Amino acid sequence: MINLTDIIAFIKFQDLIQRTTEQIFMFSIAILLSIFIGLIIGIFLYKAQKLSNIVFNILNIIETLPTIALLVLLIPFLGLGMKPTIFVSVLYAILPIARNCYVGLNNVEKNYIEIAHCLGLNEFESLTRIEIPLALPTIISGIRISIVFTMGVVTLGGLIAAGGLGASIQTGIQLYDKTLIYVSAVWVGILALIFDALAYLIERFLQKRFGHA
Amino acid sequence: MLEEILGALYVHILLTYISLFLSIIIGIPLAVISLKNRYLASVIIGFCNLIQAIPSFAVVAIVVPLFGIGFKPAILAIFIRILMPIVKNTYDGLTNIDNLLLDSSKGIGLSEWQILRYIRFPNSYPSIFAGIKFAAILSNSVAILTAIIGSGGLGSIIFEGLASFNINKILYGSIPTILIALFMDISFSIIEYKFFTYPDIVNKNQPSQKLLDKIF
Repeated sequence: MINLTDIIAFIKFQDLIQRTTEQIFMFSIAILLSIFIGLIIGIFLYKAQKLSNIVFNILNIIETLPTIALLVLLIPFLGLGMKPTIFVSVLYAILPIARNCYVGLNNVEKNYIEIAHCLGLNEFESLTRIEIPLALPTIISGIRISIVFTMGVVTLGGLIAAGGLGASIQTGIQLYDKTLIYVSAVWVGILALIFDALAYLIERFLQKRFGHA
Repeated sequence: MLEEILGALYVHILLTYISLFLSIIIGIPLAVISLKNRYLASVIIGFCNLIQAIPSFAVVAIVVPLFGIGFKPAILAIFIRILMPIVKNTYDGLTNIDNLLLDSSKGIGLSEWQILRYIRFPNSYPSIFAGIKFAAILSNSVAILTAIIGSGGLGSIIFEGLASFNINKILYGSIPTILIALFMDISFSIIEYKFFTYPDIVNKNQPSQKLLDKIF
């Protein structure tokens, strides 16, 4: 019979709370950075359409590379720990956000933009008040894909000493500690699903608010 | 050293392609079945969406206490991880068919099976291949990870290098995996182009298409 004190002792013994905070810390920094960079790239490519092919091809190639290969190849340059993990997560998460931002902005009906110009909005105002809000539903579905990617990469960070729940899973496998494997793997899965569900709710809200009627 | 790398490469390729093959021959029928049964479809697709959000490392870890370690559990882990993109993309492709096309094919008296064979499948090749390509790349990257659960392959060289901080070993392990990833992406594009494309459907203005036209 498992009682509550055993569970609490187990969680304390395996540092699961600290591991979870590390995981969420890395995850949130990575996702914020990739949203920031991805949106900038997407908007930039929207303004400079000629470059879009080259940039998206490069990002597509990065996307095909195996995560672990990239993580270990960066060791000579960035060392071990959180820095390379966050760097690689951002590298992977940029493409969905940039691509969806670019597609979303291009799919805004040209009528709205013309109306904005007629109302006397300059290019920047039209971008921030008309085009970006209309593209938001597409952008947020890109962010949702990125959230899933980032969660996966951050978990793998445990292999290169970044901490996080990946480290607990690795410990579990190496010691063949079944309870630890179950608890940490299921907990990572639940965390990923929680973030995915949150993004889904935001996506649906924005779809209702800004989506096509 | 070279022998070790070649041996690991062989195991890695086996892992990747066996699990990819299994997931294709099981995933596509699953998608076809869910096409026929609406209830089953919602269960399968919901399950797919759920699994897709879970990190690969968690999937690989869960396999250990249930099925042990080694080559076969590793194939199972990769298979579970990559089944979902194939099922989902195939299902999306098969359902996203122009209704006009379906109506007219019913109108000329095609049976359900013939519609599936001659209308639904040819029209969903792009989507199916997108799924297979994604699954291939994912399977290559999960195959590295399964070295942790004793599958062997290039991943074991990488992790040995990581444990002893031997940069050369890390390079020997990771560069072949990158080449395999690029090879898979290109080879599936070529297979799709050669055997599963109809010239009148292809968008000739796409840059990658222009490149393929030049090569072949």
